Amino acid sequence: MPPFRKGLLKRKVDAENLEQNERVNTFNQAEDSEQEDLITGEVDAASDTTDSEHEDETEVPSDHERDEVLFNDSADSTFGDDEQADDASGSSSDITDSEDDGESEEGDDSDSEADSGAESGPAPASGDSGSDEDRSTARPAGRVKIKPDAASHHTDTSIDRLADSVHKASVNTQPVTQRDEYSSGDTSDEEDRRNTVGDVPLWWYREYPHVGYDLDGRRIIKPPQRDQIDEFLKKCEDPEFWRTVRDPNTGQDVVLSAQDLELLRRVRAGLVPDAAHDEYAPWVDWFSRDVLATPLRAFPEHKRSFLPSRDEARAVGRLVHALRMGWAKTRRQLADERRQRRQRAFYDLWGAGAAEPRGLQRHIPAPRRPPPGHAESYNPPPEYLLDAQELKEWNKLSETPWKRKYTFLPTRHASLRAVPAYERFTRERFLRCLDLYLAPRAIKMRLTIGPEALVPTLPSPRELQPFPTFEALCMRGHSGLVRSVDFDPSGQYIASAGDDGSVRVWETGSGRCVRVLALGASVARVVWLPAAGLCVLAAAAGPRLLLLAPGTGPRRAVERTDDLLAEAPPDHDVAVDARSAGAATWERVAPEAWARATRASILHARDVAHVAWHARGDYVCATLRPGAAGGAGGARAVLVHQLSRRRSQLPLARCKGLVQCAVFHPTRPQLFVATQRVVRVYDLLKQELVRKLLTGAQWISNMAVHPAGDNLLVCSYDRKCIWFDLELSSKPYQTLRLHGGAVRSVAFHRRYPLFASAGDDDNIVVSHGMVYNDLLQNPLLVPLKQLAGGARAADLVVLELRWHPAQPWLLAACADGTLRLYA
Amino acid sequence: MSAEVAEVQLQVRFITKQEQYAVPDSPYAIQSNVQVADLNTLINALLKETNPSIEKAVEFDFLVCGELLCSSLSEHLQEKGASTEDTLEIEYLERFPAPSPQDCLMHDDWVSTVHAHTNWILSGCYDNSIHIWSTKGQHKLAIPGHTSPVKAVSWVSFEGDQAVFVSGSHDQSAMLWVWNVPRNSVDCVVTCQGHEKGIECLAVSADSTRFATGSWDNNVSLWSTSLTEEDSAPAKKKSKPDHGKAREPLTTLKGHREAVSGVQWMDYNTVLSSGWDHLLKLWDCELGGIKQEIAGNKAFFDVDWSPLNNSIITASADRHIRLYDPRSTESIVKTTFTSHTGWVQSVRWSKTRDTLFLSAGYDGQVKLWETRSPRTPLYDLSGHEDKVLCCDWSNPSLLVSGSCDNTLRIFKAKHYETA
Repeated sequence: MPPFRKGLLKRKVDAENLEQNERVNTFNQAEDSEQEDLITGEVDAASDTTDSEHEDETEVPSDHERDEVLFNDSADSTFGDDEQADDASGSSSDITDSEDDGESEEGDDSDSEADSGAESGPAPASGDSGSDEDRSTARPAGRVKIKPDAASHHTDTSIDRLADSVHKASVNTQPVTQRDEYSSGDTSDEEDRRNTVGDVPLWWYREYPHVGYDLDGRRIIKPPQRDQIDEFLKKCEDPEFWRTVRDPNTGQDVVLSAQDLELLRRVRAGLVPDAAHDEYAPWVDWFSRDVLATPLRAFPEHKRSFLPSRDEARAVGRLVHALRMGWAKTRRQLADERRQRRQRAFYDLWGAGAAEPRGLQRHIPAPRRPPPGHAESYNPPPEYLLDAQELKEWNKLSETPWKRKYTFLPTRHASLRAVPAYERFTRERFLRCLDLYLAPRAIKMRLTIGPEALVPTLPSPRELQPFPTFEALCMRGHSGLVRSVDFDPSGQYIASAGDDGSVRVWETGSGRCVRVLALGASVARVVWLPAAGLCVLAAAAGPRLLLLAPGTGPRRAVERTDDLLAEAPPDHDVAVDARSAGAATWERVAPEAWARATRASILHARDVAHVAWHARGDYVCATLRPGAAGGAGGARAVLVHQLSRRRSQLPLARCKGLVQCAVFHPTRPQLFVATQRVVRVYDLLKQELVRKLLTGAQWISNMAVHPAGDNLLVCSYDRKCIWFDLELSSKPYQTLRLHGGAVRSVAFHRRYPLFASAGDDDNIVVSHGMVYNDLLQNPLLVPLKQLAGGARAADLVVLELRWHPAQPWLLAACADGTLRLYA
Repeated sequence: MSAEVAEVQLQVRFITKQEQYAVPDSPYAIQSNVQVADLNTLINALLKETNPSIEKAVEFDFLVCGELLCSSLSEHLQEKGASTEDTLEIEYLERFPAPSPQDCLMHDDWVSTVHAHTNWILSGCYDNSIHIWSTKGQHKLAIPGHTSPVKAVSWVSFEGDQAVFVSGSHDQSAMLWVWNVPRNSVDCVVTCQGHEKGIECLAVSADSTRFATGSWDNNVSLWSTSLTEEDSAPAKKKSKPDHGKAREPLTTLKGHREAVSGVQWMDYNTVLSSGWDHLLKLWDCELGGIKQEIAGNKAFFDVDWSPLNNSIITASADRHIRLYDPRSTESIVKTTFTSHTGWVQSVRWSKTRDTLFLSAGYDGQVKLWETRSPRTPLYDLSGHEDKVLCCDWSNPSLLVSGSCDNTLRIFKAKHYETA
């Protein structure tokens, strides 16, 4: 149906009826009709400018209807209102609305309860949409009935009021109702009449007589408002009414031209608005796949189009690089990433906590509470319930509850249901939290050091071979204790001496006794002269130190020995001080004694306890046994005899304590003197005390100097072997407690890093004692092997130990009269 | 475990190098827990089938995986780690018959050295005397002459009635003696002086023209055995005219750092010596230099070399006997023979059998070894009551040993022909 027909029909419809119709309409129908009304309203307005009342009437129900619809569908309410506010057609209806409102304001304030309350309230600045909302939310149902009445009242008064206001306001302005200009349809001077209010909503001018300003700044006065009768009359009289629309900017009626109508018609029909446009013009396919003989463009291709694009090359290079490095991503991966980025990241409150919060890197868990016991059961076994006495005690301890057996009273309940709430629950939780908070927790590193870990890692004995492992030879012959043994410098022979008063010489390899030299007195000590060119044994028999020639060595050496010891050097060659002269006497050797191999005899004041040769063999140091006088003669207990000059001297001016033994340093002119507890080192050239080594032992029995001279091994009667590193300090480097009894002898091997110790214990202990040339490296001491000594005799087992000079063989002088060779 | 092992059946094949005892070369299935005796009966039964001419049962030894079978076969295989799946080759050979004690020759002192010849036995004693015995045990002569224990003796040559022998002693001299057999008179022809310490060992070369002595002065000296003067070096003073002319060594080989404990001639030009310095040295006699050195880790007490298998066995300062190969450049022990409980003092190869040798130890045992049986000796020749100092197997039928119990014991090896 053409719009004008519809508009005509509408005009005839009563507002009441129309409203009723619309009220029963469904939502869709209402929307349809509303659109139609909007269009018809505009079209109608063009037909008759004075017929605004009617337009109002048609407009208002549509407003109502919209409100009602909006109320029904609240989701779109604001949106719809905004649209309505922006709508040009809506604004036009608003102007009329505002006029109506102004009229109702002045006319009948009390008349309409709901409407006046709603419409008088809003200030001029408050938005139309706001008032709409008020209306829609406040009383939509009641207003539907009231509004038509109010509208009818308006029509009576509004014309007069508008006329008055127009007259008052437009003092110096001309009325703009020049119908003739518009009826001609010429709008060429529309520029002059242009309203220059800009974006200001027109309802702001609702209460003013003008609607804006023209280019000259003059007010554009609203045309005189027509009431409904005028509208009606105009509708009837004016044949152009149907094509008259009101320009909201100026309030003027505009008669649409035929072109305008045609344009509208085309727009409504969905056609191209321009009638001149030919939609079906023949298509010229300018750019086709066909290759043309001549190009479309008459200029040659630019040079640039033949060059590879540098940008593209860079992009390709970037792609290739990304592929090569492996960070190129497929489209799917990119899409996934994008999707993930789009997803909101929620903090996983209950998650396992992949990333710990920043302050808790080293979280220490709270200590666990012990699991509840039987007594904490709601129905504990009767033995856990407190009997009368326990309960009494419990009550007694109320002052000191921490002394109670339980922190709670075990109580029996018939069922779990009967268990009352635990009143101290919150309190206890609080206390626990307080404990956890106030008592800072720390990770306690438990030391897992077993006793094995403290033992230094020593090499296994298997790696430290060779060392003696079994008894290879047992040499029998002595009838009493064997006090002393020694190897000859080449290791071919063994000399031994014992309580039976004999010195025996044995062959090492076979254990054959080669010589027996009876000396008549118990021999405490026998030592072979270390120099290779001579064959001399020093034997301490009672107070005498005898130099024996066993005659076993090379014939030449034997002869040399005899020659050397046969003749005493001339007396003038020997200078002996008076003090030394009394200490020892070189005796003349009787021919029968000479025949029994005695070559020299030195008589001492007391029994000789210990004999030690100097490494070069000219000096022998004898230590005397402390006499009855006691320790007064410590200095006189050590004598050094010089063989070549037959001279004796007392090297020590004074010496505290009982001297146990004295030995020479293997290379330097030094003498080690061991008293009961201390080892003193004397420099023989400078005649002074060099060092004093504190052993820590109660009674030193013997000592041995390492062949390199830097280490000293001291053994004591209180079961210790004490290793001194002379380079290190004067304190013991290590104290070895390897024996169960007194240690009587220690010995260093001359070539192998071995030492051995033995005593009243049943065992001889062979140890590895590696001394390094590197001063920074401490000696390595490893006990290697326990060898069974001989049988026990008079509480003694082994009296002296000696190492073979070349082989890792150990010789022990045993108390049972045997010599045992371990290999 | 033995019960479990007993279930295993073994495929064996018997082979032998002694043709007269060959059995068919076909595999037999036997139980794995068989002992030597069972195998012996099996082989004898097989032999009886194939070769009826053999009446008497023959005792065999069995070589499995290159080693003599001593325990049961399964244990032996387990020890060697051999598979029981394959067909096992068992080589068998006639067992060396057990030597029987023949004689015990009493001395006045420890018998330090002994050397046997076809009919005569020479022994050195710690009482400085040398003794000549017949193989029948008859004492022929006691020869005083040395002033210190005699440590080494050796026959040099027999020419008609005249026998020449040499002795070395701790009195630093070696003496060359001539023994007139019919007259039973002995004469010291040459006294060899040159060592500065006692002579420990002595060996005569195969052509009997020279002998070598090893001494405590760390030297090996080579001497001529000629009885006349012209061979010896320039004139020298005669220190002991009653003991014949003095002689100086042809060559002195210096190189050992400790006492030389054993010398052996390997060929005309090569002397092998062992020392307490843990070294075996092969000397070139002409050049006087060392050809080769084999280092052990214990002092060597004795050494012997066999021309039959060109191997060296050594006795060292522990309880083991070691077998070296002089051809290998590395000082690697090929086999270690362990059964003695004391030091082994002397070892001697058999002159006829390349796999047998004799050893004497301080545990009073003389042991007869087979090279392919390193754990168990073939026979223990017991009888000595003290340390055994020397042993000798120069006469293939006589196993002689001297001991600290002042006896020289003779064991007779039953005669049997090698294949």
